[in-house]
Amino acid sequence: MAADSDPETEVFEITDFTTASEWERFVSRIEEVLNDWKLIGNSSDRLPIEKGEYTRSTWEEKSQEINFADFKFYITHYVLVQDQQTEDVKDNVEEDAFPVAMQDLLCMNNDFPPRAHCLVRWYGLREFVVVSPGANCEAIISESKCNLLHSSVSIALANSGCQVPLFVQVQQKWRKMFAGECQGPGVRTDFEMVHLKKAPSQYNHLSGLLDIFKSKIGCCLSPLPPVNIAIRFTYVLQDWQQYSWPQQPPDFDTLLGSEVGGVEFGKLPFGACEEPISELHLATTWPNLTEGIVVDNEVYSDLDPLQAPHWSVRVRTAENPQCLLGDLLTEFLRLCSRKESTEEVLGRRLGEDEGKENADISSALSRLTEPAAAVPISKLSVSNMVHSARKHIRRHKRNDESPLSADVLNSVLLYLFPDAAVEKSPDSKNKTANTNSSGKSEQEKQSDHNIFLQLKSAPSDSLTYRLALCVCLINYSHGGLRAVAHLWQEFVLELRYRWENNYLVYGLTGGPPDLRCCLLHQKLQMLNCCIERKRARDETRKAQDGNKDRERKVSGSTNNSGSHECPTLTPAASSTTKEVSPGKSWDSWSDSEDEFFECLSDQGEAEAPQPEGEKEVNKSKAEGRLHPYNNMTLLHSAEPLYVPVTQEPAPMTEDLLEEQSEVLAKLGTSAEGTHLRARMQSACLLSDMESFKAANPGCVLEDFVRWYSPRDYVEEEEVDEKGNTVVKGSLSPRMKIPGNMWVEAWETARVVPARRQRRLFDDTKEAEKVLHFLAVQKPADLTRHLLPCIIHAAILKLKDEEVVEDIPTVRKSIQQATSQASKLFSPFNQDHKKLEDFISQLISMEIAITRARSLKAKFAVSEGEKAEDAAELENFVSSLLEEPEVVVLGAGQGPAGSIIHRLFVSAQRAALLSPLDEDFGNDRKQTGGSNKVPDFPPPAGREILLRTCVPRPAPYSKALPQRLFCVLMKEEFRLAGAFSLDTAFF
Amino acid sequence: MEEDILTTLKILIIGESGVGKSSLLLRFTDDTFDPEQAATIGVDFKVKTISVDGNKAKLAIWDTAGQERFRTLTPSYYRGAQGVILVYDVTRRETFTKLDNWLNELETYCTRNDLVKMLVGNKIDKENHEMDRAEGLKFARKHSMLFIEASAKTRDGVQCAFEELVEKIIQTPGLWQSESHGRGVQLTDEDAGNGSCGGYCSLV
Ligand SMILES: Nc1nc2c(ncn2[C@@H]2O[C@H](COP(=O)(O)OP(=O)(O)OP(=O)(O)O)[C@@H](O)[C@H]2O)c(=O)[nH]1
Ligand SMILES: [Mg+2]
Repeated sequence: MAADSDPETEVFEITDFTTASEWERFVSRIEEVLNDWKLIGNSSDRLPIEKGEYTRSTWEEKSQEINFADFKFYITHYVLVQDQQTEDVKDNVEEDAFPVAMQDLLCMNNDFPPRAHCLVRWYGLREFVVVSPGANCEAIISESKCNLLHSSVSIALANSGCQVPLFVQVQQKWRKMFAGECQGPGVRTDFEMVHLKKAPSQYNHLSGLLDIFKSKIGCCLSPLPPVNIAIRFTYVLQDWQQYSWPQQPPDFDTLLGSEVGGVEFGKLPFGACEEPISELHLATTWPNLTEGIVVDNEVYSDLDPLQAPHWSVRVRTAENPQCLLGDLLTEFLRLCSRKESTEEVLGRRLGEDEGKENADISSALSRLTEPAAAVPISKLSVSNMVHSARKHIRRHKRNDESPLSADVLNSVLLYLFPDAAVEKSPDSKNKTANTNSSGKSEQEKQSDHNIFLQLKSAPSDSLTYRLALCVCLINYSHGGLRAVAHLWQEFVLELRYRWENNYLVYGLTGGPPDLRCCLLHQKLQMLNCCIERKRARDETRKAQDGNKDRERKVSGSTNNSGSHECPTLTPAASSTTKEVSPGKSWDSWSDSEDEFFECLSDQGEAEAPQPEGEKEVNKSKAEGRLHPYNNMTLLHSAEPLYVPVTQEPAPMTEDLLEEQSEVLAKLGTSAEGTHLRARMQSACLLSDMESFKAANPGCVLEDFVRWYSPRDYVEEEEVDEKGNTVVKGSLSPRMKIPGNMWVEAWETARVVPARRQRRLFDDTKEAEKVLHFLAVQKPADLTRHLLPCIIHAAILKLKDEEVVEDIPTVRKSIQQATSQASKLFSPFNQDHKKLEDFISQLISMEIAITRARSLKAKFAVSEGEKAEDAAELENFVSSLLEEPEVVVLGAGQGPAGSIIHRLFVSAQRAALLSPLDEDFGNDRKQTGGSNKVPDFPPPAGREILLRTCVPRPAPYSKALPQRLFCVLMKEEFRLAGAFSLDTAFF
Repeated sequence: MEEDILTTLKILIIGESGVGKSSLLLRFTDDTFDPEQAATIGVDFKVKTISVDGNKAKLAIWDTAGQERFRTLTPSYYRGAQGVILVYDVTRRETFTKLDNWLNELETYCTRNDLVKMLVGNKIDKENHEMDRAEGLKFARKHSMLFIEASAKTRDGVQCAFEELVEKIIQTPGLWQSESHGRGVQLTDEDAGNGSCGGYCSLV
């Protein structure tokens, strides 16, 4: 056939003359597929379709590629998965019953399904097969090609005995043009379609369409059996009028007005800036009319939507409404990819032009630290903080405007460091903020806590968390990258100020860095540890100063002799230990600084209570006693065994820890490596031994072990020469090993109380390291550090907002997102794309919540309405959110129906009568007539479904289902007809 | 050689002082028993490559000191561990009763909640048992742990303990995949819906 004229297939035919033509191959391919899919044979043994089943049940779809020469087609099978199997009705099947598709044509249980393939909508089919051009193939447009395709399927059906309707898609895809056929024993249905842009005026109403239907059937019976009619008009509401979107984007400027007390920096903005529900579609349906009952023609129509027996509604949502939280997150994530350093952003280079003074880094450093001198230590308030910050900025950027205004900066700093606002005694600053989460249930707290763990963020009342919120907001609405850089610089400056002035950083849990938190949080905690230690030292020194005169004589001598070096692996020293060779002596692992745990001169132990009546000698010798230990006495004297005051081990952040374990691991797994490792970690042991010796003059290693490692002091009952049982104690075998490290350390240990030992933890050095670390973080680094906190905050925000609206689907997706979140920040594969995806998930939840909010506002119960109405409306709104189409109970007369009616009326008035000057609510009925403004706009779409069962083609043929589905829209006119005919008695 | 190593697993050994943690580790890595084993100071570290069900895994094993005083130091090493071996001494009941503290510590400092735990009752070669097997089993069941009794001295159960642990870790892909392989979890469902008309077809 067409193959002869097709140049491409000619080539093929030259290579293989023996095979059938391309067309024949194509037809047999179709047959093969139908066979493979087991679509052959009688199809009439199916259960009748229940009402609404097309929507309730699932549809299955399978697809395969088939070729016509080298033109690619897809053949696709669509079928409704029916709840019940067909077995029980098998007996009643008649051999020559109509194919099930023909029965479906007349079934009225699933007209206008809310969600279905268009062929289902037009023809009511539960099962069909479509042959359509492949994805990148051109459409079948020419008439000859269409015919060829059509006849292919026709022959395939006839050859295979398949009773499932088979369609071909022709014309451009968007036109949804299908032609098809269904064959049964002695019967056939042709599916035909007309598609125009405009409805011809004579067919623009029911009566015209009935005429087409009848003429198409061409039935010569008289009287003609009645035609069953189902009609659906769809009205679109776009203009919400007084129900305009209630949420205004927050005005960030007024939020920061200086008169207003608290800045809302702690709160993430939320919600859509534009109406998230763009349209409401009202479908008014007359499901079952008979010809003659209604009139609908060129001049008159009975079809008043308000009187339609059945209403249903669907909402169309705005595609990407601008949402505040989502925007905020997106902008924040964008910061991550900025490359600039803080200095580049803030224009340090301007400062460099000034020349000389910047050449010397140390002078720059001293300028950084200048606030310490400028501000009296006793007063710490935001104003002087800002003041000093200002000075600093001015120095570097002369003419350049600060990215953040003084007001904003002031508010942010006040939010971050609320303790600065109130003048507190230094002691009370010690307490950490514990502000929120009082009203929450245990369970909620637990789940919030899990978020924190999974994300590795920071506690929601911590400084880190608050910083994250600020950086996010500053970035979003106060100047982006530059403002963030500015804030960060100020933040670091404030921390330095606190370090230099011994003010603890507010809003951090005390103790060593919490390794479950993000690194930035750990660093801040580390700084606090340093400040705490430094404060403790300074305070003792102050107390010391008071006594100085009295004690002066002793101090000179001990200060130098107390300088003792010990092997150590404090984080500070870890870099130097890397190069250490195993052969070195104990002393070689120390640095040379003479720093002491507490820089004190000698002094009687104030904090250790001394038992009364002790011997004068011991009292003067013993130093650094904490308390007696379990009523034990020393082995070689009657003195009580004292627990000494000891040095706290060095706190560690995870990066330091990583570094240290790397160093330790590098020592290898040999016995020597093990030994060296132990030695490197023995600083603490040695220090404890020295403290112990100082507190317990005359002690031996056994005494130390009894306190320090009681299981290594074995007590056994023995019988002495006299037959008495005595308890004899000795060191465990492993402690007795000659030259083991414990013995070795004990022998090396001098008699030095903790406060005169070299510091195990060099707080000064560590604090400077932290401050340096912070200072060199680029804005993008900062963003990455804070990302877990922001995601954490966003999830909490979504949770809070969801609770208000109570939307189960959103609740579920929040839970899912939370559990996936832990994978986001795996240090091994931080994937930007994944983060983006995650954030868009959060955004979609925000949108869902905003939609709920918008619908609730629109369908709010007005005063005076009954309680049951309120409940019904609530149900209605939540169904609208979850289902594609929702039935309006009571149609135009129900509570939801009357609200919808009102919405349409006011939109109509706004559109047609401007301005609206009377209250329509009072006398709607009367004015409705006089104003001549219809309550509803013209329908955006009309669907008219005509069905009957008549003999074709001859009066004596079998009566067979006939159906015409008409779609009338502004820009589309479609007739989808299915006309059956008797092929046996033709 | 290095190429076919599946992954590096971080294993942690914890428990009271003197229960035989270092001895178990030495038995496992060097197949020796050293009665002269000194009490551990801080943490110690050993590496061993083993093959379980044809999968090679490199184990980085951190042996911690059980000594009270080192406790402030050692939890830092819990971070990122995929498996942990909790050891008690079957001849000293108090080393068993202290296990609750160790579990608490794990919970507080461990960064992952899905790590595999193995309980080992050590020193079964000795005679004066204060603990019977059933008690250990019960505790392990209660806390969803693996359980085995062992002796570092006679090598009973030692190899088996480590192998079981590794096998279990390998069966828990979330524990190791995220590190060496990038097989992350799909966050979004693939958008369904194609074809000429899609699934969702409304009039307007
Ligand atoms: N009989 C017997 N003795 C054992 C066994 N395992 C360890 N020991 C002994 O128990 C003592 C303590 O063993 P270690 O391995 O040092 O104990 P640990 O748990 O590492 O102790 P710390 O390092 O202090 O935490 C040593 O003297 C070992 O010889 C065992 O299976 N049987
Ligand atoms: Mg040990």
